[in-house]
Amino acid sequence: MNDKVKKLLYGLLSVSSLALFVVVWVVLSHAEGTMLPTPTATFSRFIDIMQNPISKATLPVHIWVSLRRVLIAFLFAVVIGIALGVGLGWSEKFNAFFGPLFEMIRPIPPIAWIPMIIIWFGIGETAKIVIVFIGAFTSIVLNTSAGIRAIDPLLISAGKVLGANRRQLLVDVAMPATIPAILAGIRTALSSGWMCVVAAEMIAARQGVGFLIVRGQEIGDTALIVVCMLAIGIVSALLSLFLTKMEGVLCPWQFSKTQ
Amino acid sequence: MSENDNVKVRVRNLTKCFGDLKVLDNVSFDIQKGDFVCIVGPTGCGKTTFLKCLVRLFSLTEGEILVDGEPADPKKHNLSFVFQNPSHLPWLTVEKNIRYGLELKKYPEQLIRERTEEILGLLGLDKVRNSYPHELSASTVQRIVIGRSFAMHPDLLLMDEPYGQMDIKMRYYLEDEVIKLWQATGSTVIFITHNVEEAVYLSNKCLILSQKPTTVKEELKIDLPRPRDIASPEFVRLREYVTSQIKWW
Repeated sequence: MNDKVKKLLYGLLSVSSLALFVVVWVVLSHAEGTMLPTPTATFSRFIDIMQNPISKATLPVHIWVSLRRVLIAFLFAVVIGIALGVGLGWSEKFNAFFGPLFEMIRPIPPIAWIPMIIIWFGIGETAKIVIVFIGAFTSIVLNTSAGIRAIDPLLISAGKVLGANRRQLLVDVAMPATIPAILAGIRTALSSGWMCVVAAEMIAARQGVGFLIVRGQEIGDTALIVVCMLAIGIVSALLSLFLTKMEGVLCPWQFSKTQ
Repeated sequence: MSENDNVKVRVRNLTKCFGDLKVLDNVSFDIQKGDFVCIVGPTGCGKTTFLKCLVRLFSLTEGEILVDGEPADPKKHNLSFVFQNPSHLPWLTVEKNIRYGLELKKYPEQLIRERTEEILGLLGLDKVRNSYPHELSASTVQRIVIGRSFAMHPDLLLMDEPYGQMDIKMRYYLEDEVIKLWQATGSTVIFITHNVEEAVYLSNKCLILSQKPTTVKEELKIDLPRPRDIASPEFVRLREYVTSQIKWW
């Protein structure tokens, strides 16, 4: 089988899974007494919310509001998370000091922080950003520190015998070797951040997709809920696609040019 | 005293244990400046351990190893180490891998460029200079690492079975290249190999190690004229002698 045929076949497989999804959706939504909106109803609800704002915002605005919260929190999470992760992975002293504390705080689900965060920061933007930050930060720390610990000792030895000092070993050897692990952490962080923003918005917000879902629940607008759920899924998938591209740019050494 | 001044590496009463396992047992020897020393011995006898002790990747249990009269320090001494397994930096292209050691030493850009070009040519890596190591074969990757070491023009070159992965043609070529480098730069070379023919071909002194716990069984001077003929009776005699020394401990 040549490559073109193979590609076409795999493309068809992907399309058919989506088609199957729609078919199951149609069947379920037409069943007796169902609360699931039909695909057509969902689509027309989608068109409607693109034009007629809810809480002063159309769907793209709601998505953007949520996305902005994620991205701001994410930026902080990346910077602080990588720094802390490098510290934990690279320095035994730092790890001895912070490691146990981090291990204890880490398993607390971000959502469990919501009440305290709202008490501390109110219900404004800061509170939501902090919640998303908590959700995104831990996986970056974990992946970074694990990545640094997993470096092939031979590479460190090679750096040492070439005369690298400890700082050069970190910057020239350890950090580049850890980029793939950090990117894997970032991928997890982005999706858990996106989950957290929806959760945070479901509890207290005036705009954002999480808010929109809760509004749909309050007024019994199932089509609106489904539109938001699909929007969340699609945005997530796009973010993930973006990260895959980033991996290619940041770690060209992991991908063959020739094959 | 003049004898002393000529010592590049002095090993005194070196003992190295890993827990209860004694690997090196009270080893002492000197390596003169400009020597090409091959270390041979049975598999697992601690050849690699010795080199790693020398560059302080391992701490010594007892005794001392001095390079130019002081403990070896890669930041201070111009030494170079080729590990048994490829130790290239995978995120750097071939050219940047070769440059890396020179850049660490903060040599002027002009010199770095000259050396890099020289090495790329010498090791036939010119065509793949912009490739990443994972795109290349294992033996090519090892050539990058060898190139990185050669580029330093080290005055102490340590090689741990560097040619193990090479096919025979490449090995012969690189054996001659390391001799050329040694002769051109007047460096001291310590070369570990399990290939007796290689040891007799390269070295002017051969250290034959015993089985664990390891001691130096014999220091053998090899003063055959160069270039050496591996088929000459004298060469064959030495090769057979070394082989028998390794075999019959």
